[in-house]
Amino acid sequence: MTDHIIQQVQVHLPNIPLEVVSQGAEALVFQTSVHPYYSKPCLPHQDKFIIKFRPRKPYRHPKIDAAITKNRTIGEVKFMAKLTKLGIKAPSVILADFPNGIIWMEYLGKKLPNGDVSSLKNWLWYYEKVLADESLCLGSEVQQACINVGLLIGKLHLNDMIHGDLTSSNILLEDSEPVLIDFGLSSYSGMAEDKAVDLYVLERAMLSTHSKYSDHYVKWLLQGYEQIHGSKEFRSGGKKLVETLRKLDEVRLRGRKRSMLG
Amino acid sequence: MTVDLDQYAKPGKGYYLALGLEGSANKLGVGIIKHHLGQLSSTNRAEVLSNVRDTYITPPGEGFLPRDTARHHRNWVVRIIKKALVEGNVRGTDLDCICFTQGPGMGAPLQSVVIAARTLSQLWNLPLVGVNHCIGHIEMGREITGAHNPVVLYVSGGNTQVIAYSDQRYRIFGETLDIAIGNCLDRFARTLMIPNEPAPGYNIEQMAKKGKHLVSLPYTVKGMDLSMSGILANIDQIAKDLFGKAKQVKNKQLIDEETGEPITSEDLCFSLQEVLFSMLVEITERALAHVNSNQVLIVGGVGSNERLQEMMKLMIQDRKNGQIYATDERFCIDNGIMIAHAGLLSYRTGQTNDLWNTVCTQRFRTDEVFIKWRDD
Repeated sequence: MTDHIIQQVQVHLPNIPLEVVSQGAEALVFQTSVHPYYSKPCLPHQDKFIIKFRPRKPYRHPKIDAAITKNRTIGEVKFMAKLTKLGIKAPSVILADFPNGIIWMEYLGKKLPNGDVSSLKNWLWYYEKVLADESLCLGSEVQQACINVGLLIGKLHLNDMIHGDLTSSNILLEDSEPVLIDFGLSSYSGMAEDKAVDLYVLERAMLSTHSKYSDHYVKWLLQGYEQIHGSKEFRSGGKKLVETLRKLDEVRLRGRKRSMLG
Repeated sequence: MTVDLDQYAKPGKGYYLALGLEGSANKLGVGIIKHHLGQLSSTNRAEVLSNVRDTYITPPGEGFLPRDTARHHRNWVVRIIKKALVEGNVRGTDLDCICFTQGPGMGAPLQSVVIAARTLSQLWNLPLVGVNHCIGHIEMGREITGAHNPVVLYVSGGNTQVIAYSDQRYRIFGETLDIAIGNCLDRFARTLMIPNEPAPGYNIEQMAKKGKHLVSLPYTVKGMDLSMSGILANIDQIAKDLFGKAKQVKNKQLIDEETGEPITSEDLCFSLQEVLFSMLVEITERALAHVNSNQVLIVGGVGSNERLQEMMKLMIQDRKNGQIYATDERFCIDNGIMIAHAGLLSYRTGQTNDLWNTVCTQRFRTDEVFIKWRDD
């Protein structure tokens, strides 16, 4: 079933080797060895790149489909460009084809000893399942990584940017240095409510994918999140932190879903 | 499924009979269902003995008000129950239980129907079973189509939810943040003064089939949730500009950019459907990817729309072994039989409501119900 989608993308990218990395509801992610215009790009990985492709959705009216694909691709590229400008680590954009929904970007992440990509999810799973040693799972290395992720998300929020889909698989680790990926649902907002919901989504995701130690992980994530709000780099970070954390308590209480009229 | 469903069978009887009363909105439905002993399966299907419905229809441009709808239900409930009993060839005392909609829905209509249920229960000395309306739709959809463990898209006048089963609850993955899809379509039908007979949504669907040109409208999906009030306000304004009756303003004309033809009310219906249904299919696809499933079941009144079914089919074809299940208007649109079916499942696991516990509620979430009859 992915075959005809691959054919679709190959129309726009002839003679480019493509290898499917993952498939979501909205997009396909490929890995490739070709850079579109440099033979020696100034990137840590010179022969590995990522291509994200939003295929046509046959159920949508062609006009609606074209508008959505274009707008979402533009939105995602803009978000990534802004992150680069702010110095928040995210893959850099190499090339974008807006009408066809293609984003060519930098490859990030490493391979874990068991061959998986070093997303936070796989990395924690590696500790939990392969090494299966509680002292390592709750050791200083994991703690530092979680704190770093918290710092990163805090930085994002202090710039009034919302990721929208924070899960442990949307965070990559480059030697315990975290990187955010997948900005398909991102938005801009300075409201404490939106930031709190962003954090709550992450908290729920941690709980469902890493249930055993999620309490510790979330505690460390929030520790990092609080730490960055106290830094001198951001003005009135402390006030924002209090607001966001108060909202987070509220959001936790009501859950994501409110009661509504049938 | 290994839940024992026969602990509460009447001795010496090989089957169960349940009467279901539904009246959460403008439809009054009464149905009688028969389950034979043992697990429900493809060889042991639930039998529909009767399924009678009467709809309260208002003039074009008007919606149904709670007070008037409740009066309609009160006036008709006895006649409809009698008709259902005659059609099913069942006497009241043969029944095992009386099932009624406990919520969600409009307060006044719910209350007028529950009074009928309480009366019958005391008259024939039968237990009462309160049913969540959404669970009724889901269980009936599963029974009719044979879908095993689908992602459910529940779309009706009052609800818009994407639901998946996990751990004895039907959990809500995505839903509307403001108005329901059916509500959105009905209200637009009122703006255009489209008749409410047989149903405003049905008439919009017929008009949309004649529409050709797409008018640009907002598209508001937020993760797995969606929002529709802005779209309605937008298209309402366009309709008012084009066809408004105000004398002092001259109506604008809107021209399709590509063909140069004027936009008609049929085009507006077409555009509204295309946008709303695209959003629904998108959130369904997200939920499918999230729970790693490939079956979709569409239930609820809007689920009988052929264009929605077609779009869902196109989406599911792109997924590995994808399957789509939909029911026809007898079971899609609110009916008594689904209440009887879900209520009987509840009854067979020993869940009944004492008289003091039969208060209806307008707000009753799908995930509040403990699904005792499933344990997969």
